[in-house]
Amino acid sequence: MSNGQNGAELRLVTPGMAIGPSAGIRVGSGALAQNDTIIATRLGWVKEFNNTVSVDPINSAYMPRSGDLIVATVAEVRNNLWFMNINGPFQGLLPMSLAPWKVEFGAARQHMGIGDVVLARVQEVDECHNVVLTMKGVGLRRLTQGSLHSVPINHLDRLRGEGNATLQRLRDACDCRIIVGENGKVWVDGDAEGTAWARQAFDLVRNSGHKDTFEADLTALEKNTPKNGDA
Amino acid sequence: MVELVPTLLRQELARLAEADQRLDGRGQWEGRDVSLEVDCLYNAEGSAKVVMGKTIVYAGVKFELRTPWPDRPTQGSLMCGAELRPVAHRKYEPGPPSPESIELGRVVDRGIRESGCIDMESLCIVPGEKVWGVMIDIHVLSDGGNIFDACGLAAIAALRTAIVPAERFDVGEDYKLKVNGTPIMSSFTRVGGRYIYDPSEEEELGGDERIHITLGDEGHLHSLQKGLRGVFTPAEFAEIFEVAHQRCADLRTLVANQEGN
Amino acid sequence: MGGYGDVQLLRDDGLRLDGRKLDEMRPVSIEAGILPAADGSAMVTHGLNVAVAAVYGPMEAHPRKIQRQDRAVIDVRYNMAPFSTGDRIRPGYNRRSREISKVTAEALESVVLVERYPRSKIRVEIEILAAEAGTRCAGITAAAVALADAGIPMRDLIVGVASGKVEDTVVLDLDKAEDNYGQADLPVGILPNTGEIAFLQMDGDLSPDEYNLAMEYNFKAAAEIHEIMVDALKRRYEGGEN
Repeated sequence: MSNGQNGAELRLVTPGMAIGPSAGIRVGSGALAQNDTIIATRLGWVKEFNNTVSVDPINSAYMPRSGDLIVATVAEVRNNLWFMNINGPFQGLLPMSLAPWKVEFGAARQHMGIGDVVLARVQEVDECHNVVLTMKGVGLRRLTQGSLHSVPINHLDRLRGEGNATLQRLRDACDCRIIVGENGKVWVDGDAEGTAWARQAFDLVRNSGHKDTFEADLTALEKNTPKNGDA
Repeated sequence: MVELVPTLLRQELARLAEADQRLDGRGQWEGRDVSLEVDCLYNAEGSAKVVMGKTIVYAGVKFELRTPWPDRPTQGSLMCGAELRPVAHRKYEPGPPSPESIELGRVVDRGIRESGCIDMESLCIVPGEKVWGVMIDIHVLSDGGNIFDACGLAAIAALRTAIVPAERFDVGEDYKLKVNGTPIMSSFTRVGGRYIYDPSEEEELGGDERIHITLGDEGHLHSLQKGLRGVFTPAEFAEIFEVAHQRCADLRTLVANQEGN
Repeated sequence: MGGYGDVQLLRDDGLRLDGRKLDEMRPVSIEAGILPAADGSAMVTHGLNVAVAAVYGPMEAHPRKIQRQDRAVIDVRYNMAPFSTGDRIRPGYNRRSREISKVTAEALESVVLVERYPRSKIRVEIEILAAEAGTRCAGITAAAVALADAGIPMRDLIVGVASGKVEDTVVLDLDKAEDNYGQADLPVGILPNTGEIAFLQMDGDLSPDEYNLAMEYNFKAAAEIHEIMVDALKRRYEGGEN
């Protein structure tokens, strides 16, 4: 088998599969202690770190956490708030008081309408999945230009790379601004060629992000940037 | 469920149209690769599977014996139905057939019926008493855009491979259903202000009205349908009508090659 | 069960009409992730049965009245395509498909960690494209693989298998003739790792001993199918040879 990620002894497990004995081991996410055994609860790669066993899922829905920077789309407008599609199971709510503008009651629509795309932060999430968003903060704003893309949540680390190195390579290669939302929505702003190249790079992450050929494929794609030309 | 259309998507599609480009790099009149498989369903008398990009469609043909309509005692019947079940996309909800399902089935039905490729008289067993009812059921498993063309292609390919199950109904020996012609549908959607052939899921999401054209072997029109909100000019139609001839011919060749195997 | 007795289902050499041994199942193959529009999906070919499952979600549960404050609900629709059987089936739900959908949903809710997603719904769509006895079992197997493919947390997979009785003999995995003319059918959903049972139906006539033997066959088959399920999931993600 080929290892999907860097590092040794990576193991792909399916739900219910025994990972190892539970004695003296902490159980992390994607796993469960059952009797004396740790079992996987999700399809993914086994990770052992700091005496904790967890499973890195191969596929997952976006579950918002407070502080997440996300790219959201307005789904509904009320007099004093917006409902946002955040690419998760539940919509996020942006109250007038957390918008970046001074909004009069009933005037929400004048600032943002259905379909508008914003850069926002998750303010809080309660146990019942009620999600409150904020647009108060540096850089949080309505995105009036550029394009919207999707990358699977579990491949975001792959897209960013160690210390954002991969992401920076993409930015340099296509000469675009790229903002990666924790919710798997990515905003790209640049010229048509750059955007088209970025789209190919995201396709690569989506289709091969879990393969060990990813690095080589990305390097090959980099040789074919709008700047380098493809002769 | 009505899908949310991000303003940025519409803006980008308009920008691309301006530059004569598409999201996935295709040309304006270029279709996605199409894969067609026939005889792929064990219990259907004729069947086909079509894959076009992220769209996957199956069609199956079944026969039944019925009494003919009193005013047409020597004619059998043909019916084509489509199901847009919730398996195919997040946006489809359970419940009775939606107007979209019904439109889809009827547009495909008209194209096949009106092309005259099935001679209704040939479906007669005993005049006034016993005729064949031919039913094509289309099942969309994955909606990745342009399901109309995929459904039209699956339906005619399934029909053209159908075997009439006469033995099972005790009315003689099984024989191949006679189908005279291969009506093919081509669909165009307005995206970013201009028409394109074979829209992808994203292009449909950020696009406007669509036009479906079904052409017979001789290039004659057998069904037309304009769907969704929007208007078009005669000049625009003339242009896509030209393109439709070529695209339909390509797909007709695909069906013929598949039958040859 | 259908008829009884007058149709020969076992050959003189003790094998079944299609040449299988009493405890031999039909060939099974599984492919994960076949539907691009779904969050998770699978196709199970079990003998001549073809079952496809798609998973969407978790998503907010609508309508509100089906919402559970403490957990997710699993919304299953088992549906046979009109062309999946000998005689065409009228599209739409019938009593049989509603019942199967209900007990399948409850079986899946027994393995999915539903408490992780309060107020949510996970949609599981099971479509039978070809039917030759055993579609509900193929559907359960497909649903379990599709759920795993979608990244839904579960404490185990579920394998759908059935045994039954023909000519007073217990056999594994009834085919169509055996189902039509046999004396009993015992479809179950087995958790392959824990050995628990999440789905159980039966009709016909079985003695306690026959029940035990049928169950033994079912567990043996479940272990075999489980390996095929795991292989399908791994094949999808291991990234091939290169």
